[in-house]
Amino acid sequence: MEKFTLIGKNMKRIDTAAKATGEAIFSADLTLPRMLIGKALRSPYPHARIVAIDTSKAERLPGVKAVITAQDMCGDKWGVFRYTQDQQFLPTEKVRYMGEEVAAVAAIDEDTALQALKLIDVQYEALPSVFTIDDAIAAGAPQLHDAYPNNINVHVKIDVGDIEKGFNESYLVREDTFSAPEDAYFQGEPYAVVAQFDQAGNLEIWMPNAGPHMKAKPLSNVLKIPLNKVRVRKITIGGAFGGRSEISPADVICAFLARKAHRPVKIVYTREENTVATRQAHALVTKIKTGVDREGKVLARDITCHMDGGAYSSTGPIATSVPFLCMEQAYRMDNVRYNGYRILTNKPIRGMYRVHGRAFACGIDIQLDMIGAALGIDPLTMRLRNARQTGDYTPTKSYVASCGMTESIVKAGEKSGWKEKFGKLPPYHGIGIGCNSVQTGFPMGIRGGSQAFIKLNEDGGITVITGIVDNGQGNDNMVVQIAAEELGLTPDDVQLISADTEVTPSDPGSYAMCETFIGGNAVRLAAQDVKKKLFRIVAGEFGIGVDNLTARDRKIFVTENPEKSMSIAKAVRIALSRNESISGEGSYWPNVDPKREWVKNPYGQLSETFSFGTVIAEVKVDPETGQVEVLEVTAAQDVGFALNPQVIEGQFEGGVAMGGQGGMLSEFLQWHEGRVLNPTQFGYLVPLAIDMPKINNIIVETIDPNGPYGAKEAGMSVAMSAAQAYCGAISNAVGVYFHDYPITPDKIVKAIEEKKQKENAEVPG
Amino acid sequence: MKREITFKLNNEERKVEVDPGWTLLYVLREVLELTGTKEGCGYGECGACTVIIDGRSVNSCLYPILEAEGRAVTTIEGLRAASGELHPLQRAFVNEGAVQCGFCTAGMIMSAKALIDENEKPTEDDIKDNIAGNLCRCTGYVQIIDAIKTAAGGGRT
Repeated sequence: MEKFTLIGKNMKRIDTAAKATGEAIFSADLTLPRMLIGKALRSPYPHARIVAIDTSKAERLPGVKAVITAQDMCGDKWGVFRYTQDQQFLPTEKVRYMGEEVAAVAAIDEDTALQALKLIDVQYEALPSVFTIDDAIAAGAPQLHDAYPNNINVHVKIDVGDIEKGFNESYLVREDTFSAPEDAYFQGEPYAVVAQFDQAGNLEIWMPNAGPHMKAKPLSNVLKIPLNKVRVRKITIGGAFGGRSEISPADVICAFLARKAHRPVKIVYTREENTVATRQAHALVTKIKTGVDREGKVLARDITCHMDGGAYSSTGPIATSVPFLCMEQAYRMDNVRYNGYRILTNKPIRGMYRVHGRAFACGIDIQLDMIGAALGIDPLTMRLRNARQTGDYTPTKSYVASCGMTESIVKAGEKSGWKEKFGKLPPYHGIGIGCNSVQTGFPMGIRGGSQAFIKLNEDGGITVITGIVDNGQGNDNMVVQIAAEELGLTPDDVQLISADTEVTPSDPGSYAMCETFIGGNAVRLAAQDVKKKLFRIVAGEFGIGVDNLTARDRKIFVTENPEKSMSIAKAVRIALSRNESISGEGSYWPNVDPKREWVKNPYGQLSETFSFGTVIAEVKVDPETGQVEVLEVTAAQDVGFALNPQVIEGQFEGGVAMGGQGGMLSEFLQWHEGRVLNPTQFGYLVPLAIDMPKINNIIVETIDPNGPYGAKEAGMSVAMSAAQAYCGAISNAVGVYFHDYPITPDKIVKAIEEKKQKENAEVPG
Repeated sequence: MKREITFKLNNEERKVEVDPGWTLLYVLREVLELTGTKEGCGYGECGACTVIIDGRSVNSCLYPILEAEGRAVTTIEGLRAASGELHPLQRAFVNEGAVQCGFCTAGMIMSAKALIDENEKPTEDDIKDNIAGNLCRCTGYVQIIDAIKTAAGGGRT
């Protein structure tokens, strides 16, 4: 008999038929009786003092039911951490970026709401602004917040081993600087919120979110109502990629409008609002100094990274750390110093993004290529010589329980034909490799663990209750798959109640790739709890030990004698008739160091386990136009164990599109004095079907000792290492190492011209 | 001033009072409550609002409602058979893993339907060209292309 019936096999996702028929309801699709339309008035200045706001004309406009300003709120400041509480949902004193919310209206329709916005008179006193990292930290620069002198929002300092000794012992040392502007999340679904209050003052609210509990707490704080009155409801979510992590001013504004108007309110962001006023990914400048021995093994690294954080902290301490942490996981580096600075500028707010910092990961990797070239070692071998291994500790003291980095490098190398191709391709053809690693969660305080409940019905079906949220990646299906597997049921036998703060227990949310590992384990434990109780009943009836039973095909049968069985439905009815509880409960708390803190103590177990991935890309560059044609991409990742291979392959392919194709070839935000010039798809070039190369997927399984069935996470390492592989491949094709990303055609043409000029200059006569 | 227009929607004659400034997308979503068709941008960039008008795929966010007079409009809600059975494209999207967050799915399926109604055996390039106006941020398009191939009878089953 096969070990599993559902786990490890391609399974049709339970949520996708509703999406393919148009029946799935997203936030903007909701309509409630008497619902109003809300709109926010946004600052036209990047930095200005708010002198006065007059809303009287807007309030008198027929059809307007509520107008709010900072006066309606208590001036509370929100922050992910106590030490980063710096953002008011409607600012009282000044605006800090162009597009920041200043006031809001709710009206009977969109036209009236937009007309009302024009009637709000805000007097601003423009203040000097800063738009670049250099300008922001220059002496005498305008200051955004009193709490952050010199506009330094966060400084993460990590110092491990003895880097001076490491550099002294190095055979070769190089220092390079890498940079990249901001990227946009560009989720399919523009942000939307619907809020309503009932007569008892309970808030019901729907919005895209990465964790309903993470939304509920700040709403409770700012609305001054108990947490049990905030009901963040489950809704279909159109992508997150890190950009739906926190409370949004839109959530709070919508709730305040609904409370003031005594009617439901819906706010739907335009595409521009989604790009400007949700979150963006950080711009980075990373200086990397690396020393290696003769064999290319890294002996010391000194990294300084400046990140443009925009106007507020957001997830700043995490965002400032993660680019480094991913790379310290991926590669061994015993002596390393990291100084990460998040700098505030008068630009929109930056958050956590799926591809954590192109100018960091690509910098580390392309520098390995440069060093390898100097030593006569090819890039793949450079990776193998520095690859993280099972049983290692990372520099910041995380134990690595399972690691398939080497296997992913070797397998990707074989599949892509690396040996036959590297150094042997025709002119302007190139091949490149990137390696990366991501966490499966990190210390998240009291919300770091997940709990799940399972209720049984008298027909043998179950309802699983969990806080796990699905942003589109397939988490709902993962829950059903695990519960059905454990209890020997079919997916149709399982109902799911999830991501609803009124009903579902605590869960970290879909952050840092933790849902499979943490939430999945909790659901599995809840199902095992139920199974244990059912087995007790059946064992009693059959007069045998509980260890001799198996659950499969909606039955519990004697393992050695499958003819002898009882339906789960019958076991449930026996339990009911005896008033015996058979509900299940499971909770999982990951083995992370609770004393670890991003800034104060960045050492200790960060995440219980990590995924590791390698991407190899092969490209052809047109030297005349600088256009890059990507011929083939091979993506390999250690996922621990593939719960649902089809879903994992979809994550790999999506990761290649976002990290490689978009992240390294075309995606970047353009600016003019704090204004985003390309907030829509016309100027912000997200990959389309016609752009996509052939992709080979390689699933590497290391069976993590503590992951559910050995699983870790599906696809994040690929998204990140794809950017690195593209960077390496283009550099290899052109014969120039690129330091500024994305590598757009203009940069390629320029690099080729400069290379030619240099070569001509070197040829005598 | 409102005007009444008549068009065929998912094989049913419909009379709707409209404001001449409205788009077809607005009428579908806000008046007729057919929210399967999504608005991703409102400028005809992303294709989430794709519907079929007289056999051609169209961005409904750019389509003036008065232009719909007398035409046949098919939305994602009109694809299922009367029996409730999924359209082969819908089935293929589900089976091939072509749906992740699902926001682009309706538009993607409608674009694909217009293609395979006209071309029973599209090549991979035909498919890529056909959905070049449909943005998907999740999938990397591979499983979407596989699904369209399967539904057109040319791919794996």
